[in-house]
Amino acid sequence: MSEKRIVLRNCGIIDPERITTYLDRNGFKALEKAFSELTCEQVIEEIKASGLRGRGGAGFPCGLKWDLSRNAQGDEKYVICNADEGEVGTFKDRYILEGDPFTLVEAMAIAGYAIGAKRGYIYLRTEYHYLLGLLKNAINQAKEKGFLEHFDIDTREGAGAYICGEESALMDSIEGKRGEVRYRPPFPPSRGLWGKPTIINNVETLMNIPQIIVNGAHWFSKLGTEQSKGTKVFSVSGDVKSPGVYELVLGSQLKELVEDLALAKNVKMVQVGGATGRIIPHEMMDTPLTFETILGAGAITVFDESRDVIDIVCRTMEFLAEECCGKCIPGRQGTEAMVEILKRFSRGEGRQKDIRVLEELSSAMMLSSLCGLGQAAPNPVIDSLQHFRSDYDNRIRESEGG
Amino acid sequence: MGKSKENLLILLQEAQNKSGYLSQELMVELAKSLNVSLSDVYGVATFYSFLSAKPQARNVIRICKSVPCYLKNSQMIIETVGNKIGIKPGETTPDDKFSFQLTNCIGACDKAPAMMINHEVYGDLNPNKIAKILKSYL
Amino acid sequence: MDKIIVTINGTKVSGSEGMTILDAARENGIDIPTLCYRLELSPIGACRICVVEVESSRTLVGSCHTPITQGMVIHTHSPKVIETRKAIVELLLASHPDSCLVCDKANLCELRMIAADLEVGLPRFRLQKNYYPIEDVSPYIVRDLSKCVLCRRCVRACSEIAEQNVFGIAYRGFDSKVVVDFDQPIDQNVCQDCNVCIPFCPTGALSKPGRIGKEKEGKPLIITG
Repeated sequence: MSEKRIVLRNCGIIDPERITTYLDRNGFKALEKAFSELTCEQVIEEIKASGLRGRGGAGFPCGLKWDLSRNAQGDEKYVICNADEGEVGTFKDRYILEGDPFTLVEAMAIAGYAIGAKRGYIYLRTEYHYLLGLLKNAINQAKEKGFLEHFDIDTREGAGAYICGEESALMDSIEGKRGEVRYRPPFPPSRGLWGKPTIINNVETLMNIPQIIVNGAHWFSKLGTEQSKGTKVFSVSGDVKSPGVYELVLGSQLKELVEDLALAKNVKMVQVGGATGRIIPHEMMDTPLTFETILGAGAITVFDESRDVIDIVCRTMEFLAEECCGKCIPGRQGTEAMVEILKRFSRGEGRQKDIRVLEELSSAMMLSSLCGLGQAAPNPVIDSLQHFRSDYDNRIRESEGG
Repeated sequence: MGKSKENLLILLQEAQNKSGYLSQELMVELAKSLNVSLSDVYGVATFYSFLSAKPQARNVIRICKSVPCYLKNSQMIIETVGNKIGIKPGETTPDDKFSFQLTNCIGACDKAPAMMINHEVYGDLNPNKIAKILKSYL
Repeated sequence: MDKIIVTINGTKVSGSEGMTILDAARENGIDIPTLCYRLELSPIGACRICVVEVESSRTLVGSCHTPITQGMVIHTHSPKVIETRKAIVELLLASHPDSCLVCDKANLCELRMIAADLEVGLPRFRLQKNYYPIEDVSPYIVRDLSKCVLCRRCVRACSEIAEQNVFGIAYRGFDSKVVVDFDQPIDQNVCQDCNVCIPFCPTGALSKPGRIGKEKEGKPLIITG
């Protein structure tokens, strides 16, 4: 299996500082086509028909999101690009922005046209501050060439908060507040930024848009599986020989990515989707990477046989406890409680009854947390208990004086 | 837009970049000019990990402690930096040259172990490399 | 306006546009426990105690902020709901001081009442508690934030009813705290004698001075040989 570059087609080929090199690669042809040949509704229909789903982790159908926002009442509407890539083990958006900021600008302008927005924001995590100049330069060059006459793009920088990658917290942050999550409904397409209809799309989702408009929905929907169309860009790190960014057709096996491309050996397990992702044991490496199975935002962290599952799960939970906003009880107290229990296991003081507590807390957090962080935080605990139960049991036996 | 509430975070970021931290005088002034309460300003200032309401050195070293860097022995990087500048995470050197922190994933996992100094990212770290990097800030 | 028909615990009831699940339930005599919700304040959905099961929803939903929609099928006391509420209360108790016996809020404490109703006993795990010194310099209000459950009712009461903005939330995650100014003890310079927030506190975190400052009445219990 080799790579298929759609999202990354310009990365490493164009000069990210010069728009002319982008124009030479058919840059802004999609925007021109949208303006001259398609109505706003037709653009949305095309995205709907392509089957494109959100690449930020949740996998919501992109066209439907746009449609909801187009049909929502509002004197102002907004397009937000979520470039707050904070999921542990994810760096693909950084790679995309480093290599091809122009496609993103073009895609946002198409989105603005489709939903009837005049203004867009790129929310960039402060850890990527060094990319801000490149992004602003791309916006300015597009402006100079006359591609942004009806749509203005502004950048906003985060200030160090993983939770701001969550869409409602991200909007609060743009509004100048603490990045705390909001309850939903209302959802952003009807009431988002400053209470106005807003679409929030991940960098990678938007990168697909221009090519879908140029080549047609049919071209795109031929790639992938029934419910997972197109490609996915993965960030691979950890115990591999070739860490980096890889773009594969959806439905490719985890094994191909981890062993054939990233050259991992003696794999014990893979965390797919970062801190809130799933833990896949080596025996299940033939799992296809799709929205129906496992995907997340495409963070692939590989662990070899020397690694201690409980140690990894404990560190993952510490991350989530530090990064949750603190608004809801299951998120704030639940992650903290899990850290305390997992630390006890790490120290060799875990007990059989603690497992029951972990399971009950997991269930409550998944069912009742205010946002995706709290709802998905138990994933590593649940998966490690399912696939590596003996690691916990051995630790308990040791601690009980066995 | 001018001085409206929605600029609070942006203004705090600007002040942070300019002064290295957010002094109480500055936050008082900001609260007055935006017509928000002190506790709201303080609330935003203490929510984000790249803002600091306590004095910091001009150079802030942030070493990534998240799992991908941990797998590449970030512990060794933390110890090396600590030994070189003589302080522990959470502290500032007596000469005010460096503040030292541990941070969560900075999106440089392909170059693990990695760290940031101010806005600069340094990857594929080893003790020799660290010595050279730190020297460039002296 | 069209009526919205929903099913709550097997019974069809009708409501109107804009009603939340909690409104509809209470109007029909069904009690759903709440903690951060108060009728007089805007909802924030923070405590999650009021979650209910809505058929076809992946997760439980907060009843205090979720509007009813046509045909919604709601279960307010299913086993899943009860287990979840119990776990949430246990999480709160795990970081709450064990001073109920001497707490002035006594059996008016809403946390205690909810815990009793749900039959939540001693938590099976402990969270490192956030101990804060008692703030008793103000002649109007005493704050004991070790007992704070971060429901933010005082924050909202102060801004929405008293139209002051004395309180704010600072820090993040488990360190989150209701603060005054730059996290200073509340004093008479920032807060006057309006008394709005104190009755909104569900626990003993906010109280009127006088009782704590004074020596406790009654003799200490001395056990002799």
